[in-house]
Amino acid sequence: MGISRRVYPLVTLNPYQGNWTIKVRVTDKGPLRTFRNARGEGNLFNVELTDEDGTQIQATMFKDAAEKFYPKLELGKVYYISKGSLRVANKQYSTVKNDYEMTLNVNSEVEEALDEKKKIPEFCYNVVKIDGLGPHVNGRELIDVIGVVQSVSGILSIRRKLSNEEVPKREIVIADESKKTVTVTLWGDLATNQGEKLSSVVDESPVVLIKKVRVSDFQGVSLSSNPASIMQINPDIPEAHKLRAWFSEEGKDAHMVSAGASLPGGGVRTGSRSIFADRKFLSDVILPTVGDGKPEYFNVKGYVSYIKPDQAMYYLACQSCNKKVTEDSVSSKFWCEACQKTYEECSRRYIMTVKFSDFRGEAWISAFNEQAEALLGMSADKLSELRSQDVESKVYSRELEKVTWVPYVLRISVLQTEYMNEKRQRITIRSLSSVNWEHESKYLLEQIASMKKEA
Amino acid sequence: MDTSNPAPFVNAELLKRYPGRRVRCVLKVVRAEGNSSLSGLTSDGLHISVKQVPSVASLSQFVEVIGVVDSDRTLRAEICTNFGDTFDMSSFNQLVQMANSEYQSLFI
Repeated sequence: MGISRRVYPLVTLNPYQGNWTIKVRVTDKGPLRTFRNARGEGNLFNVELTDEDGTQIQATMFKDAAEKFYPKLELGKVYYISKGSLRVANKQYSTVKNDYEMTLNVNSEVEEALDEKKKIPEFCYNVVKIDGLGPHVNGRELIDVIGVVQSVSGILSIRRKLSNEEVPKREIVIADESKKTVTVTLWGDLATNQGEKLSSVVDESPVVLIKKVRVSDFQGVSLSSNPASIMQINPDIPEAHKLRAWFSEEGKDAHMVSAGASLPGGGVRTGSRSIFADRKFLSDVILPTVGDGKPEYFNVKGYVSYIKPDQAMYYLACQSCNKKVTEDSVSSKFWCEACQKTYEECSRRYIMTVKFSDFRGEAWISAFNEQAEALLGMSADKLSELRSQDVESKVYSRELEKVTWVPYVLRISVLQTEYMNEKRQRITIRSLSSVNWEHESKYLLEQIASMKKEA
Repeated sequence: MDTSNPAPFVNAELLKRYPGRRVRCVLKVVRAEGNSSLSGLTSDGLHISVKQVPSVASLSQFVEVIGVVDSDRTLRAEICTNFGDTFDMSSFNQLVQMANSEYQSLFI
């Protein structure tokens, strides 16, 4: 057949070098469609090709080439392909991660590889764990998930308002080792054929791998299929074996929780929110229009950059009700207006401001007792002890410096208030948490992906 | 700071792009072989072996290896750094892919 057997890795292909042969598996095959444009009409179809290294590329065939290769290229089989052409990918039409896309014409050569089929992985996948779905909510990228099937609903028929056609839908719930569950909605073909298959084996708790699902924020987090999604029941991959082993050991009796419960819009507890939902930069938050009239809530990630040593820091508090007490200088006792009682002792509670910075800006933020204690690493009583014992204020100011430049994610409220006829912005910490770098990285990757799509 | 020979981030599939060059790679240690070699899993899920590893016994689960590419699947180590026992390989793999394609100018 004259194909040179020197196989090139897909990643090295470019439009300027034409003499190559690749050895790839057809990991996705689209339907034969017709097109019509100014130059005429004809058939076309796409395939997704994956080689030994896992690199993927989309290949399209038009007209005669489509007729020739549609029956020849079978999903799941491996072929040697050469004499195709490459050009820069039109990202609008492709869901495959490659800068280039391939076109095969009638002269291209396609030969089935009957040797060493096992070398090329059956399909490429990059699964996101169920408890890691948070950062992907409403993201633009389609992701892959794998889990043990907990339940499969019957087929529901939804009537599409626009086209008035009936679309079948089925909902399945999957779980993984994080002991979290998520609902995946299957549409169309996936709901009828594969969904039916899944339904018949649901009692065996099969493992299912679903590629290219969209992540939405419905009920906290839900996944839905689309025409590009692929589902594999009990695939022969290490993740599936691990899941099966986990499930039979502890998973089947474990108490599962919905992943959406800890995300905004999901579950009963709306108090806890995803730390990515209202994420903003400090430069956006300090604008004078923010928090005008009603307090607005945001998450910010940054660092405490400075704590002024000579500020009030704390107030004297009633040990029963935490409200401010006044010290009687004569008797050295404390009077609480709210309790209408005098106390021998009082406690100190933090009320201070810190300067918080991120790479875009900085702001003065108030912290009350709980959060300030977390930031400073000691109670207000301890700090006041330190301050009174510290004659030259060196130890005290050093303690304040020690806690700066530690990364935190803060949930803040921003409100415009009027003070002596002046409009001022008051920002308060509602809660704080330390930074989970793994989740932050995933969030950044999502941001990069959505910025790329916009470009 | 010597910036004359930067070591690009790689995974297994990118090793072949830098034959004989110095690269950096994060591996999940699978098995130690002898007292100066190890076999590790790269961020794209393939096995590579590393030779001339200093102090194999004291390595954590995840290790960054800076070394020279000997073949498509082996590295000759120069510096090994412990990255602890937890590491997000999938995010790192995306970093590797971006650093070698569209954002390459930011790195090299």
